[in-house]
Amino acid sequence: MAWNDKGGGPWGSPPGGGEPRRPPSNDRGGPSPNKGPNDFEAILRQIQDWLSHFPGLGGGLGVLVLIAAVLVIWLLTGFYTVGPNETAVVQRFGALARTETLGLHYRLPAPIETVTIVDVTSRHQTEIGSLSSRGSSEAGTMLTGDSNIVELGFVVVWQVRDPVKFVFKVADPDDVLQRAAESAMREVIGQTDVQRALNEGRGEIEISSAAILQNTVDRYDSGIQIAAIQLQRVDPPGEVVDSFHDVQRARADLEQARNDAERYRNDILPRARGDAQKIVQDANAYKDATIAKATGEAKQFISVLEAYKQSRDVTARRLYIETMEAILQNSRKIVIEPNADGKTGVVPYLPLPALNPPASPAKGQ
Amino acid sequence: MAFSRTLIFTLISAILALIIVSSSLFTVSETEQAIVFQFGAVKRVERTAGLKFKLPLVQKVVIYDKRLLDIESPPQEVILQDQRRLVVDAYAVYQIVDPLKFYQAVRSDNGAKVRLNSSINATLRDVLGGTTVTTMLSKDREGVMQAIRSKVNEAATPLGITVTDVRISRANFPESISQSIYGQMKSERNREAAQFRAEGFEQAQQIKAKADRDRTVILADARQQADILHGEGDAQATQIYADAFGRDPEFYAFSRSLDAYRKALGGEDTQYVLSPTSDFLRYLARPDAPKSTTAK
Repeated sequence: MAWNDKGGGPWGSPPGGGEPRRPPSNDRGGPSPNKGPNDFEAILRQIQDWLSHFPGLGGGLGVLVLIAAVLVIWLLTGFYTVGPNETAVVQRFGALARTETLGLHYRLPAPIETVTIVDVTSRHQTEIGSLSSRGSSEAGTMLTGDSNIVELGFVVVWQVRDPVKFVFKVADPDDVLQRAAESAMREVIGQTDVQRALNEGRGEIEISSAAILQNTVDRYDSGIQIAAIQLQRVDPPGEVVDSFHDVQRARADLEQARNDAERYRNDILPRARGDAQKIVQDANAYKDATIAKATGEAKQFISVLEAYKQSRDVTARRLYIETMEAILQNSRKIVIEPNADGKTGVVPYLPLPALNPPASPAKGQ
Repeated sequence: MAFSRTLIFTLISAILALIIVSSSLFTVSETEQAIVFQFGAVKRVERTAGLKFKLPLVQKVVIYDKRLLDIESPPQEVILQDQRRLVVDAYAVYQIVDPLKFYQAVRSDNGAKVRLNSSINATLRDVLGGTTVTTMLSKDREGVMQAIRSKVNEAATPLGITVTDVRISRANFPESISQSIYGQMKSERNREAAQFRAEGFEQAQQIKAKADRDRTVILADARQQADILHGEGDAQATQIYADAFGRDPEFYAFSRSLDAYRKALGGEDTQYVLSPTSDFLRYLARPDAPKSTTAK
């Protein structure tokens, strides 16, 4: 430990008064540089102690062999593997040396070179405004463009576009991303009316907030690619949720009223057209029938006329007699012989009331 | 034993050499920058990453972050130009660009955060005091944030800090007036709901009235057409009758009259008082046959 107190060594912490040095936040590769040398020192001491117990062994050569073995083991710790979805950023004495992709690689062991492995293909999800995220539900309470309030939660889906920038440029990328995302979302919601935010505007909000967020993290040179922003929930505040539901019901009522009216229209109009067709067809039928009847009667008349022309007197008489026959066949008849002077012997007394009750007034002769 | 003593001497000298070498070397990461002091005075600034040298014991090193750092200012209530109140908080992203100035002005990150925070708060009050809620809830919000950014950046330059961004995160009405906001929201929604219902009625009435009208028109058109057809039929029939009957009006009158008698007078309820001298019954009283069929 005494080494660290002397300060400034490659393995020690910086001198007092300075900020403690933070390793890169995503450092997952290799042993921590602070531990290795202390272990090394301790091992050397142990070996020394052990040797002092056996002075007669002529261990000078043995010590050299031991040191060589330790050196080899130390060098062997430099192997590391990079997975298919990862990129390794290698630093030599802190300076960027190279990046490596998939496979088994070697670096000079700590503290000379250090490796930071960054997951570059996975999509990370950062949840904001949900009840589980930082702060209370207050974090998801946002002011809309028409001075209403909505509560919303969303997820930022992002991935690392540039691992070198991601590791070196921003101290706390997660935190910055979260703050920038919340700010972007509030900016967009602040320009959206509450009804649009709750209903049809969601896609637009997702797209434009993602654009603002991408713009922001690009300005920070953070190496972050925003894949998407997904709105999880957008709700009116609990106190007014009934009113919002009533608007939905009113919309439904509107639809229903219109549908009912359309049902009425769809019911009566075809019927009316049917009725109209019937009226027209009836009229057509009347027309045709009238003409047909007239034609028939005309033809009948003409036929009869033709026959009549052949023998006018006989035909006229025949028609007259046939008609009289038909008329008198069913009627009540009284035949009275007149006197010689041509007057009737009886007074033609007609008992009018005695006539058949339903009959029309009798026709006397 | 002598061999052993040389070994121990070698080991000790090796360790000493290691200590001297290690205390004269230091690393600066890509994420860092360093100031080298000699007896308390600034000797130089290391801005590039890598392995660096210093004099052991005499020189000391202070390391600062080179990355973008972020800071959140706590929520504070500001009064806007239109006298409305907003609870606003913001975050800033900044970077130590001049470690020397930074060391001289604030020394530590905490000192910088305190200075930045008060600067952000003052600027928020100042800039937002000249805007309205309407501005905050519009495209101009970006412009407001830019104004805040450049002011905070200006104030931070003497600290060796560049402020990359200041963004407003929360801008809400204070809790105390949220009840009235809720009241406003409710009344707006009620208005909307009433309008939807009335519009529903309106549309339904429109559709129904239009349908009724269409039905009336359809039927009237049909009746009109029917009347025309009736008229055409009657006209043609009349024409046909006139053509036919006009050939012999006298005979028409005769035969049509006979038909009419047959129909009008042929019922059982008709009583006839007949004289045998009538033309119809003349053979009833005088059974003599006619002399010839041709004489009349």
